[in-house]
Amino acid sequence: MTVSEDSTRKPLPAPDADTAAFWRGLQHGKLLLQHCRQCHHVQYYQQATCRECGSDELEHRPATGRGKVHSFSVVHRAPGPAFKADVPYAVLLVELAEGPRMISTLIGSDPKDVTFDMDVELAFDQVSDHITLPRFRKA
Amino acid sequence: MSDTSLRGKVAVIGIGLSAVGKVPGRSPLSLAAEAARNALADAGLQQSEVDGVLSSHAFASPFHRFSVAFSEYFGIRPTFSNTLQVSGATAATMFSVGAAAIHGGLAKVVLVVAADSLMTGLTPDLALRSLTESRDQQYEMPFGVPVANTFAMTAHRHMKEFGTTPEQLAEVAVVHRRHAARTRGAQQTTPITTADVLNSPMVTTPYRKLDCSLISDGGAAFVLTSAEHAQALGIEKPVYILGCGECYTHEHIFLMPSLTTTGAVESSQRAYAMAGYRPTDMNVAGIYDCFTGTVIMMLEDLGFCRKGEGGPFVADGQMSYGGRIPSNTHGGLLSFAHSGMPGSLFHFHEVIAQLRGQCGERQVEGAYLGLVHSLGAGFATNATTILGTRGAL
Repeated sequence: MTVSEDSTRKPLPAPDADTAAFWRGLQHGKLLLQHCRQCHHVQYYQQATCRECGSDELEHRPATGRGKVHSFSVVHRAPGPAFKADVPYAVLLVELAEGPRMISTLIGSDPKDVTFDMDVELAFDQVSDHITLPRFRKA
Repeated sequence: MSDTSLRGKVAVIGIGLSAVGKVPGRSPLSLAAEAARNALADAGLQQSEVDGVLSSHAFASPFHRFSVAFSEYFGIRPTFSNTLQVSGATAATMFSVGAAAIHGGLAKVVLVVAADSLMTGLTPDLALRSLTESRDQQYEMPFGVPVANTFAMTAHRHMKEFGTTPEQLAEVAVVHRRHAARTRGAQQTTPITTADVLNSPMVTTPYRKLDCSLISDGGAAFVLTSAEHAQALGIEKPVYILGCGECYTHEHIFLMPSLTTTGAVESSQRAYAMAGYRPTDMNVAGIYDCFTGTVIMMLEDLGFCRKGEGGPFVADGQMSYGGRIPSNTHGGLLSFAHSGMPGSLFHFHEVIAQLRGQCGERQVEGAYLGLVHSLGAGFATNATTILGTRGAL
């Protein structure tokens, strides 16, 4: 287990063998979903095999970036000092048009305005030289 | 039931708590040892008679192999041991794994023991780690997702789909506090009202401070042995493990199949099937109450009311005395104590004490069948245990 060395800095993802292409895609303005060539299952969470059928014939395709808010929770008490300046912020569980769900946050409007099933669209937020986070704004 | 079924094969013959609540200056191992001594004294056994130890990880302890470190600290040399990790559901799995080990001949007397010092024993970095524990480093943590957030999103969706209200959530907290007021050693006993909950500071919508469980120090321990050995020892009030069930539906909240129907449906159905009882047969329950909405969803998924009716069920007084299923009569994680992974052991302690008729003014009259449900990590892990007296065999 790792312990944050500096709790005032936001944690950045450390890409691994399963996710390197995914994070590279985000740097180039693409949210890459894995499409199974065998069973046509689409997955957001990056892994070597299809979770539906086990096939390793997965193909990366960029998401349309359209989605709906399946659920959300507006954070008022930050999980650590790094996020204190951001509260209140809306954590979203977005259901992408392609099917998979993902966790992200809302940008560009008041978190109070988030509603269930609200239409959202992908926005790319470059947070460091190497990392761009997929966020969402109201469509 | 087949010969391999665990039903009624293993009995809990000793229960014990450490000091619980705010307990400064005590390590998790010392709290665990205190609970273990109390459980062994309750069973009337010597520590040398323990040959199996099962524990869970403690955030405030440097030991990765807590069960092994505990045995050294306690001065025993078990021949069966493990430190289990399925977050909040670990408590229930310690009972099922312990029972299976006894039934399968790996151990004769298993000590289930866990303790942590989340309130007074954590360095700031460890406290932060415990807050974000089980959140994914790449897909969740960069977005500032507190541990409460995943549970909050399930409750929020439940409100949207079934019309569950903030007042109904608040009622869960009020009932727990009322129960805790009659429990010696409970951390929070000052009565609260629905308005108090609704006026407490927002943490992560829809959860306010009083919708969230406590942060505590403390531990609990249990002595398990075979039904035959319990009889040979002349144990007066053995409590038998009648049914166990688990279900693991996802790791990440975004891969949870449904936000409002959880793996508790399957874990409890498996436990009921093994025990040969139905939800309506239960006299008392211990339900993992990390947040108020969690309890409402679990009352539904465990079969005590229909899906979507958990809010009205609670508001109607059905989870307290005189209701359909008196639950968390000690005050639960919301008001008794929540020391992390040991938290659910307090539910076991209470339900077993109820089945032994030892709860004084909290006693549910004539209770002989009880259920404990443990869960964790945003409903990723679910485990149900059904317990009963000799009369329930």
